[in-house]
Amino acid sequence: MSAGGAVPMSDAELRDELRAVARDLLGSSRTDAGAPATPGWPALADAGWLGLEVTEDLGGSGATFAETAVVIEELARSAARTPFLGAVALGVGLLDLLEPSDVRDGLLRMVAAGEVRVAVAVRSDEGFDPAFAVTGSHVTGRAEFVADAGQATRLLLVAKDEEETPVVVRVAAEELAITAQPVLDETRRFATVAADAVPVDPASVLRFQGDPFTALRRMRSRAAVAIAADALGVAEAMLAATVAYAKVRHQFDRAIGSFQAVKHQCADMLVAVTVGRELLDAAVDALVADDSDAPRAAARAKAYLGDAAVDVAGKAMQLHGGIGYTWESGVHLYLKRAMLDRALFGSPTTHRRRLAQRWI
Amino acid sequence: MVSELGELRGAVRDWCRANIPADWRRAQTGVSEEEFAAFQKWWFQQLRTQGWAVPHWPAEWGGGMSVAEQAVLYSELAAHDAPRLVLQFVSIHHAAATLLGAGTDAQRQRHLPAILEGEIWAQGFSEPDAGSDLASLRTTARRDGDRFVVNGQKLWASGAKHADWCLLLARTAPDAPKRKGISYFLLDLDSPGVDVRPIRNAIGDAHFCEIFLNDVTIPEANLIGAENDGWAVAQQTLGAERGLTMLELAERLGNAGFAWLLEQCRQPAIGGGRLIDDPLVQDKVAALEIDITALRSLCRSVIDKHENGTAGPADASVVKLFYSELLQRTMDLGAQLGGLTAHTVLQKPLSSGWESGAWALDFIGSWEWTIPGGSSEIQRTIIGERGLGLPREPA
Repeated sequence: MSAGGAVPMSDAELRDELRAVARDLLGSSRTDAGAPATPGWPALADAGWLGLEVTEDLGGSGATFAETAVVIEELARSAARTPFLGAVALGVGLLDLLEPSDVRDGLLRMVAAGEVRVAVAVRSDEGFDPAFAVTGSHVTGRAEFVADAGQATRLLLVAKDEEETPVVVRVAAEELAITAQPVLDETRRFATVAADAVPVDPASVLRFQGDPFTALRRMRSRAAVAIAADALGVAEAMLAATVAYAKVRHQFDRAIGSFQAVKHQCADMLVAVTVGRELLDAAVDALVADDSDAPRAAARAKAYLGDAAVDVAGKAMQLHGGIGYTWESGVHLYLKRAMLDRALFGSPTTHRRRLAQRWI
Repeated sequence: MVSELGELRGAVRDWCRANIPADWRRAQTGVSEEEFAAFQKWWFQQLRTQGWAVPHWPAEWGGGMSVAEQAVLYSELAAHDAPRLVLQFVSIHHAAATLLGAGTDAQRQRHLPAILEGEIWAQGFSEPDAGSDLASLRTTARRDGDRFVVNGQKLWASGAKHADWCLLLARTAPDAPKRKGISYFLLDLDSPGVDVRPIRNAIGDAHFCEIFLNDVTIPEANLIGAENDGWAVAQQTLGAERGLTMLELAERLGNAGFAWLLEQCRQPAIGGGRLIDDPLVQDKVAALEIDITALRSLCRSVIDKHENGTAGPADASVVKLFYSELLQRTMDLGAQLGGLTAHTVLQKPLSSGWESGAWALDFIGSWEWTIPGGSSEIQRTIIGERGLGLPREPA
């Protein structure tokens, strides 16, 4: 598969192929912290992953979020250190909801080619309420915990215009105050983004197609599902690592996987991953189809997988024993990533509260 | 396809409104075993008139519904609080799967139409000393010319006192390794030497039975599969069957059980307001809704995978384990929300689902899912060994 490929990648077979290619690319080398090394940004562009949801006339492959979700899951499986969340999961998703314009189309074209990196200036837990305001020809505001802002060359500020209508303002990174906010999960990057009366030209103020509030709700669901896909990848990686370890680690003259106390926990991990996949697939399908159940399906997937990935990664650390607690084993990378996934774009309790609203 | 499903949904809905007896719950509470059995047989025939009694069977035997159609049928029946087919559960699922998967033409012709006419089956697998370790069963079937003579004792045969026939596992080669010396039989429960005795269970009813077998004769023609191959035949036919039985139970849990849980949550709470106004209640109810939604989706996926030949060796165990423990969690929450009132409901309507609205009783009854049919511990072992390839426990 390559950027600009003419084959529509919408069916399950092509998704499986994408997964196989991704696993191959991401699993090829390992760092000394136990996790696979992440290919650089040009390699991700060459693989066509940055332009999956960019239309073919702009150099992308015209695929859907379903394909992006496969890449997210596979990146998580290898605990990848890459700004894919900010640039593609959020960035391309947001750009696709905007009215076509030279600025928007140019951004999509450059993102697909790997020439610019975007990040979406929203706080990565509360969702997409605008944190910036356009006044006259200036934009002002501040957002904390902006995913991958430090790696971005262009920021997409979710802002309100003077009529209180949500818009997106494109600003070059060098015009903003961007301050890194290191987090425990060293595979992810966040930063505070502040704009103090930064000048903007009218062409950089991008408008949503259709109702902007609907579009922002859609982004909220998309972000939750993207993180759910990440959590599933983490859980799958930890299940696979634990099962492999339980087959080779011997104590009391037996592989530890032959003990029920270990085996049954592995079984519970598989059940969690299996159930999580059902919920993720349903959420992805609903989002792609723009189904009316999409927000609820997203909430279910994020709530379930947010909890499940921490549980699975925690069991992985426990069942790996002392070696699992070492820095070198890399299990901690996944446990921290799962914990962060649980907190990103709505905690499990937040999503369950959202689900419960219709019963009140 | 979607509109055809919509038509089916409408047809089931209309039929349910016209044909489900309004007072069946009250009428089925506290009734005798005989009245229960008669009602079950009547309800089975009502469903049969619509072609809905055995939708999962092949078309030539009276079924032929797709998985999507079955899901629609089961969800509508549950949403309209239809009685469940309790008495016929083994007949239409386990017996039929065995006959279709391993039976001879003569055996199928003899029994499948008879099941549609009301023949009831029980399952004679477990024994007092062969529960989780089923393959250690001791009931013997000694060959005597063209017949077998059976001696032993079976346990936990649900519905056996109303049953006409029994699926029987018995040892035919006492000296062979334990899984290699078992044969699978169709046993006529009217045979001389059969004695069926009910056992009262934890919720007070007595559908489980012991079956004592004393020099019971089974003709060779009632052997299923090859002699001494019974273990493999039973594993194969019944393992595949599990996904299908779960589809109905998942739709029941989603459309009746959960709906009643919400109804319970809308009751006034002690101290004012309603239970559902409590954020902790909201959180717990939402967690169950997520699990139930996943279960329904999972059941369909597993059946689809079974039908297109991509099912994994532990898929059925994953579904059974997840359903059993989810049923238990749901009933537990219902009992908690029901408070002391839930404890005053001393009888549940027969013919209802595992979730009958009698929360406290249903919570007790949920162990009937986590223990039989391979306990949750056995399922976890199967998932670990067959699903994940972990090594077996040393003997």
